[in-house]
Amino acid sequence: MKGWDWSSFLEYLVSPYLLEGVWVTIWLTAASLLIGVVCGLIVALLRMSKSPVLQMPARLYTWVWRGTPLLVQLIILYTGLPQIGIKLSVVQCSLIGLGFNEGAYLSEIIRAGIMSVDRGQFNAARALGMNYRVMMQRIILPQAARIIVPDLGNRFNGLLKFSSLASVISLEELMRRAQMLTQVKFAVLEIFIVTSIYYLVLTTIWGVAQARIEEYFERGYSQKNSSRAKTLARTA
Amino acid sequence: MRRTLVCILVAGLVVSQAALVCAQTKGTPLVGSPPLLLPGKLIIAINATIPPVQYIDDKGNLRGMRVELGDEIARRLNLEANWVNIQFEAMIPGLQGSRWDMINTGLFYTEERAKIMSLVPYELQAISVSVPKGNPHKVKSTEDMAGKVVAVEVAGYEERNIKAINQEQVARGLRPMDIRTFNTFADCYQALKAGQVEAVVSVDATGKYYQDRGDFERAIFGLKGSPASLAFKSKELAEAVAKILNNMKQDGSYDKLFDKWGVAKIFGWEKWTGSFKIH
Repeated sequence: MKGWDWSSFLEYLVSPYLLEGVWVTIWLTAASLLIGVVCGLIVALLRMSKSPVLQMPARLYTWVWRGTPLLVQLIILYTGLPQIGIKLSVVQCSLIGLGFNEGAYLSEIIRAGIMSVDRGQFNAARALGMNYRVMMQRIILPQAARIIVPDLGNRFNGLLKFSSLASVISLEELMRRAQMLTQVKFAVLEIFIVTSIYYLVLTTIWGVAQARIEEYFERGYSQKNSSRAKTLARTA
Repeated sequence: MRRTLVCILVAGLVVSQAALVCAQTKGTPLVGSPPLLLPGKLIIAINATIPPVQYIDDKGNLRGMRVELGDEIARRLNLEANWVNIQFEAMIPGLQGSRWDMINTGLFYTEERAKIMSLVPYELQAISVSVPKGNPHKVKSTEDMAGKVVAVEVAGYEERNIKAINQEQVARGLRPMDIRTFNTFADCYQALKAGQVEAVVSVDATGKYYQDRGDFERAIFGLKGSPASLAFKSKELAEAVAKILNNMKQDGSYDKLFDKWGVAKIFGWEKWTGSFKIH
């Protein structure tokens, strides 16, 4: 019980029990982010529309889901709603809670990204006869993506760790699995250091993926690889 | 004039010293620090989410049989009881980490826990299963729980035992239970109320309390009985508290307390030796 126990630490490092929890954290985060991006995009576009009929639900959604804590939302979904007859499963509650909450934040991030695209791009697209859908899909959103990705990556990083809140409504993700393991030998420090290492590995892998994605969206802007720079280099 | 002043000063000094001595001898703590973490204080960890043994009333006060027991023990040791209301899974590491002097939360006695802490068993306790009022799924034994969604508190004796029962039943060919773990028993009972789970595995006293109140029915009780114990890191403190419990048994206050709350006394335990001690 005293001091650091290397053999326990190594045993927990490769424990299949914890690794199953890691898998749950991964799919929970990925699915919640997907829901969040879809919700966020729809809400951002509605928010930017000229019609107040379309704007109001978007504003209301963002106001409610961003204005209340995630923990409270999860508890209302799982334990509160059944009181008025709506019973959702643990997984449904976790995905709705995490996804819609994330969507509210992402809608603002996406809106900021779209607003950052030069007004001239909108005008030029319209001038070329593009309708709204084509304009957004081919011209605006690809450019907005460059601004959106770093912040979205930040949110994904956070979501990997916020997913642990689902343990409060009994979902067995990594954090809950770690708690359950402590009762066997009470090697608390070893277990939670292992858990932290797993989270660190996940966030690091995402960090690398995010860098690649940012590179992709950066390619129209980077001076190093732009065709203009190449031309200049050739004639110099 | 000067002589009178000096006389008054000396008299004042003598009186104040006498008063100090009086105050000390009236309430000198029977246990010093160390082994106590703070002098004059008994820091007690509890998880007040299971009426009637430990809970928070609607005014936010700590209530329950174990709270009264803890307060009485502290009073008899001339110590001030400092309560820490915290989740169960943090308690044993906290004791090891010298965050509190005593765990008073109905800790089930087990051989492996006895190896890492000093346990003084004092209450008979067993596992119960609570179900919705009317017992709609007709649960009468653990076999009836096969295939059902069951809630239990994480990282405790009840969780370990229900999982062991489940494993043994699955090995016999019954359907597995869906065992959902929550942070506290209060969360488990909330899930039962919401219909998210079909049964809650908790302790006898709590199951009975909810049945008497009419919220939930106690479908099974008396499973895997083991005494509830007070847990200590320091053997000296454990022995001092065991002595207090023996005093309480002799003067009848132990019986009075347990009868008041309807909680089972330790005397029916097969390993009971006739007096409270570290087991």
